[in-house]
Amino acid sequence: MSQFNSVTIPKQVMARQVGDETVILDLASGTYFGLDPVGTRIWQLLAEGRTLAQVSEVILAEYDVLREEVEQDLDQLVKELSARKLIELVI
Amino acid sequence: MLKCGEKTIQEKIDCVPFHRWIFNDGQIWTLFYRRGESFVLRFPDLADFEVAADGFSVLAHPVVGTSSNTITHLYLNQVLPLALSRQGKLVFHGSAVQTPFGVTAFLGESGRGKSTLAASFASSGCRFLTDDCLLLEKLDRGFSVQPSHPSIRLWDDSREALVHASAPLAPPVQHTPKARILSDDVLAFCDVAQPLRNIYFLGDGCASEVSITPMSPSEALIGLVNHSFLLDIEARDAIAAHFEELTQLVALPLYFRLDYPRHYAALPSVREAILKNASMDIHAS
Repeated sequence: MSQFNSVTIPKQVMARQVGDETVILDLASGTYFGLDPVGTRIWQLLAEGRTLAQVSEVILAEYDVLREEVEQDLDQLVKELSARKLIELVI
Repeated sequence: MLKCGEKTIQEKIDCVPFHRWIFNDGQIWTLFYRRGESFVLRFPDLADFEVAADGFSVLAHPVVGTSSNTITHLYLNQVLPLALSRQGKLVFHGSAVQTPFGVTAFLGESGRGKSTLAASFASSGCRFLTDDCLLLEKLDRGFSVQPSHPSIRLWDDSREALVHASAPLAPPVQHTPKARILSDDVLAFCDVAQPLRNIYFLGDGCASEVSITPMSPSEALIGLVNHSFLLDIEARDAIAAHFEELTQLVALPLYFRLDYPRHYAALPSVREAILKNASMDIHAS
């Protein structure tokens, strides 16, 4: 599991859900990023202020996936969003 | 909207450009500066254009030796789309043609075949509305495509393959060897806004046959962001408003990826596939 507890979304980052997917745009840099339906659900939960552990639990409850798989995917997504400065990680 | 001011020698501007367009070979094509509330677009060795903050007026300062045709061409193809973005318009790097099912638009990077497709359709009975600057206006239901300049820019090989030998040409310009072919009875132009039917994002030509695949809304949104003309890329409120408008635009099921082998013999089957797709799509909706 990630060493980080939760994330914050910088003010200059906006996201719009289109269909069951989401596009995130960093207004400062012009960077954008697309999320699939599961990524969209994760983004919603992060935006609500849920911790990464809580996000994992919700995804486990809503999708037919293994815990190890969820934690690995969540960790990877969070790292990728952070690398693009679309979220800030909180320990 | 365009006025011509004094000639310039393009003295150094005492601020850092906030944006620049650079060719693949590293050569600078356009430098973007702020001057008070307005903008200066510098095309090195060709001209400076001052664009008002609201985008409703443009003042050109040609470099000595730059022809008026070159100024007009730069204005229509480079400056005007950016100025329109300041007016809150939705402007994209794309071409468009009128089909029996509504307007089909083609978006893609330079060299992907937007103008070639427009010329191919226009010389086959589907009039073109624009070859480079796709301007959309919101309607009560859907969007319309506004007509642009009645000409298509083509490289010599496309011109020879698609346009009759006696087609009228605009005078040459100084920054590109591309010919600008003016519309006529054969290369037909549509000068009235028409409803938008579909938007195709052009692939890189790797396909061995014509391929049309629907795009998800998020893919379409990213594609539209990529191909938007935006003058002030630092104006967060304007970018946010633009992003919001694009989000509404992608709610409509209009978007497809289009790829096909890039040889002229394939164009009839490309046109046929596009028309068939537009037809099927309209019946489904």
